[in-house]
Amino acid sequence: MNFRNKNLKLLVLAIFIVFAMPRQAHAYIGPGAGIAIMGSFWVMFIALLSAFVALFTWPIRYVVRAIKHRKAFAKSRVKKFVILGLDGMDHALTEKYLAEGKLPNLAKLRQQGSFHPLATTTPSMSPVAWSSFQTGVNPGKHNIFDFLTRDKQTYSIKLSSVDIRGPRRVLNLGKYQFPIGKSDIRLLRKGKPFWKTLGEHGVFSSILRVPITFPPEKFRGVQLSGMCVPDLRGTQGMFSFYTTKAEGDSEHTGGERFYVTKDGNTIKSDLIGSENPMLKDNSVMKIPFTVTIKDQDTADLSINGDTHTLKKDQYTEWISVEFKAAPGVKVSGICKFLLLSAEPEFELYVTPININPEKPVMPITYPTVYSTYLSKNQGLFATLGLAEDSWALNEKVLIDESFIEQCLELDNEREKMFFDSLDKVKEGLCVCVFDGTDRLQHTFWRDIDEKHPARDKDYPQDRNVIEELYKRMDGLVARTLAKCKDKNTCFMIISDHGFNTFRHGIDLNRWLEENGYLKLKDDNREAKNLSNIDWSQTKAFALGLTGIFLNIKGRESQGIVDKGAEAEKLRDEIIEKLSKLTDPNNGDSAIKQVYNALKVFKGPYKGEAPDLIVGYNIGYRASWETAVGQTTDAIFHDNTKAWSGDHCIDPSLVPGVLFCNRKIDTEKPRLMDIGPTVLDMFGVDVPKYMDGKALAVGDTNNNRKTD
Amino acid sequence: MAFLTLLITWINIATNALGKHAFSMIAVLPGWLSNTIISAVLGVIILLLIKYTSNQKAISQAKDYIKANMLALKLFKDSLAVTFISLGKLFKGVFLRLGLMLKPLLIMFIPFTLIVCQLGLWYQARPMTTGEEAMVILQLAGEIGSPMPNVAIQPTSAMDVTVGPVRAVSNRQVFWIIKAKENGTHNLTFNIDGQQVEKQLVIGEGFKRVSLERPGQNAYDIMLHPMEEPLKSDSIIQSISIEYPDRISKTSGTDWWVGYLTVVSMAFAVICMPIFKVKI
Repeated sequence: MNFRNKNLKLLVLAIFIVFAMPRQAHAYIGPGAGIAIMGSFWVMFIALLSAFVALFTWPIRYVVRAIKHRKAFAKSRVKKFVILGLDGMDHALTEKYLAEGKLPNLAKLRQQGSFHPLATTTPSMSPVAWSSFQTGVNPGKHNIFDFLTRDKQTYSIKLSSVDIRGPRRVLNLGKYQFPIGKSDIRLLRKGKPFWKTLGEHGVFSSILRVPITFPPEKFRGVQLSGMCVPDLRGTQGMFSFYTTKAEGDSEHTGGERFYVTKDGNTIKSDLIGSENPMLKDNSVMKIPFTVTIKDQDTADLSINGDTHTLKKDQYTEWISVEFKAAPGVKVSGICKFLLLSAEPEFELYVTPININPEKPVMPITYPTVYSTYLSKNQGLFATLGLAEDSWALNEKVLIDESFIEQCLELDNEREKMFFDSLDKVKEGLCVCVFDGTDRLQHTFWRDIDEKHPARDKDYPQDRNVIEELYKRMDGLVARTLAKCKDKNTCFMIISDHGFNTFRHGIDLNRWLEENGYLKLKDDNREAKNLSNIDWSQTKAFALGLTGIFLNIKGRESQGIVDKGAEAEKLRDEIIEKLSKLTDPNNGDSAIKQVYNALKVFKGPYKGEAPDLIVGYNIGYRASWETAVGQTTDAIFHDNTKAWSGDHCIDPSLVPGVLFCNRKIDTEKPRLMDIGPTVLDMFGVDVPKYMDGKALAVGDTNNNRKTD
Repeated sequence: MAFLTLLITWINIATNALGKHAFSMIAVLPGWLSNTIISAVLGVIILLLIKYTSNQKAISQAKDYIKANMLALKLFKDSLAVTFISLGKLFKGVFLRLGLMLKPLLIMFIPFTLIVCQLGLWYQARPMTTGEEAMVILQLAGEIGSPMPNVAIQPTSAMDVTVGPVRAVSNRQVFWIIKAKENGTHNLTFNIDGQQVEKQLVIGEGFKRVSLERPGQNAYDIMLHPMEEPLKSDSIIQSISIEYPDRISKTSGTDWWVGYLTVVSMAFAVICMPIFKVKI
């Protein structure tokens, strides 16, 4: 109110001055007033013009849409469909907390509508499951089988969902090279998202942070890409850690450690960006920064000509950083700084440098301006696919509390954009996926598993981050429900998979080696990325979190297994042997089931899948070493990392959840049924190629669908 | 009011010194160049004044708010409700932004008007050239209808009176037409019922400071015509003005110069915004 009164007085004074003076004065105040006022009037003019165009053309567009899509309009049973995706929300754990009365809003939703376990995909991991969710098909039709896959020519490990290549042609000019044309960014997920089909029938959609949607595809609606959006360095998240401590490895998994020295109370270093695409030598871009320590708990950070205050154990806001690629060419990113310690040792954590949503260097939304809209509407926000920096926690750079705070801040950002989408989309589909549920369960399952190897004697016994997380999500559900009161709005909560404990890692490559299927070149067991494997004597190798590939002639460049009967026999042999794998430490069966890809997948891309998918038993998962293509000297490893829970096990052990504000009469709903269900609810025929089936959802909150 | 006129008169002493020396380059440079240089400098000064007198964070937020709602109009154009809501928010943002600019605007208003009035002395008119004629208007104080005093211009070598005095009793004005004879800055002396009052006359080529009017005790006139000391409050003359010839130029000519100054200073301000990190 003070602001208004003060400005009102100023306004009156300004009007008095301007109008009390004769005309010549109006001209003479030109320069100052012009700059101050011109912008506002220009905006007003553009706004009026835009509004006029929107209002004038709206009836025409409405009529055209109504005629063109009259069939779907007539059959539609909802005006609005809202899907809240809580990545990794576990069915068993949800049931437990519901029974204990800890989730009152979800309990109300269950009572009003329905609550079911939701069958996930094989394998049960986010990129695979969310791809099936969005396309309504099994992985054999969408081509995503893991986070990672192998290059058939080089056996190198690569991302399975996206392929990013620089422009094909460049113009050389001295030390610079100017790209001609755009970078080639290809989404490797095949199939068609169901919201694209909806759009073809005139239904608008807002799709926020659904995994495997990068680069965003054109459709009728707005979309912000999720998991697999890279950071500015092109990685899936590379944090930076600056310290005066000399000891320790310079390389962390998922991050880099930089040794810095103090000059008095000043520390100077560089923020490392991506390789400079404008320079022929592709040297990395850097931004120098200076930290001036004020006292034990505060310091000043000077970067890009701005000064920011760093407070111990408090993240800064998102700070926009600009790397100079060439004269007049800047690459913009955003990051947060966290002062871990100022004295006696200096320790500074910097998040991976995210693509700046205000000035994205590559498209992260459809349409491209949508990211600008979001950043103007709510401020800067994380754009990295895996924004919660669990690597920094695993590597003990971040402490538990800092990681939790990071997850909470990211969830708040997500909630703002989700609720804005609920406000903006009056009719159509709204989907938003929250990742914090997945990341916090991964990293804090040790809180609820007393036998977990990551717990030591000092472990905080009374802490339960997971329970707090579920309660917080229950609060989110309450706030969402308040925005979905309309009787023509169908609201669903889904998760792509559940969760369980991850106590022991299994080095599948070591198992293959011990069983004669894999041969190393020498005794070097430190080599990563499958680089020490003797391909001329290797019949099978493991890569990623659940897959085993056969080294097949004609498919792999150095294949030795015939693709016919020999391969079939080898598959059966490995399935039989691996299924019997037991943990010598406790006698537990480590594997629940091994799946033959040719039998579980159908569709044109099943040949791209790993030949075998390993369904681990509860407590087991692929070891950290297997995931990065390393072969150790033991099959079983205790998992002592913070990353203590997982879902990359047998899919039957980790179902997700399905809540709906309407009754659902289907016995065993599957994640891939959700897309067809949404199409059906909007009166759109489910395409025949879809493997999912429309669930029998009631027409109103209390009526069951009778057909 | 007397205090205000006195205050402006004092301020004018300072601004006249500034105008005479700081803008002395106008006398030697081509008009377009001097006005461009001055505009550029003023643009930067305006920018810095805005930076340090406004709430830059709030302006930035208001701009973001406006941009977000502009984009909402485009992104969600199929929803009439969103269109109307965004439009309302857009206007709210525009007025919020205008409100945030009021403080720097008010702070800049007086100093910049004074500076621009000084520039007006250089650009608004050109001096008379020898042989050229101009009208001199003397505005008498007093009630309309009251007796008119005897008024005469003292002869001088600088000019000849070719017509006048002509009296317009209805609005108490006396007119002369004078013809310039000698280059330089001269004083015209008027005899009015025994009183003597002077008015500056400038004859010559190029850019010289030209005072169009010697004002009376009117604050606005004193600000607008700062070069000559205002007439005393008990004077029977209200003002004396000379209708100097117009300067013909789109960049530094009569009336055009202020438009050029406005546009170019704004352009420079906009160009320099990212350099000085100023939000407007």
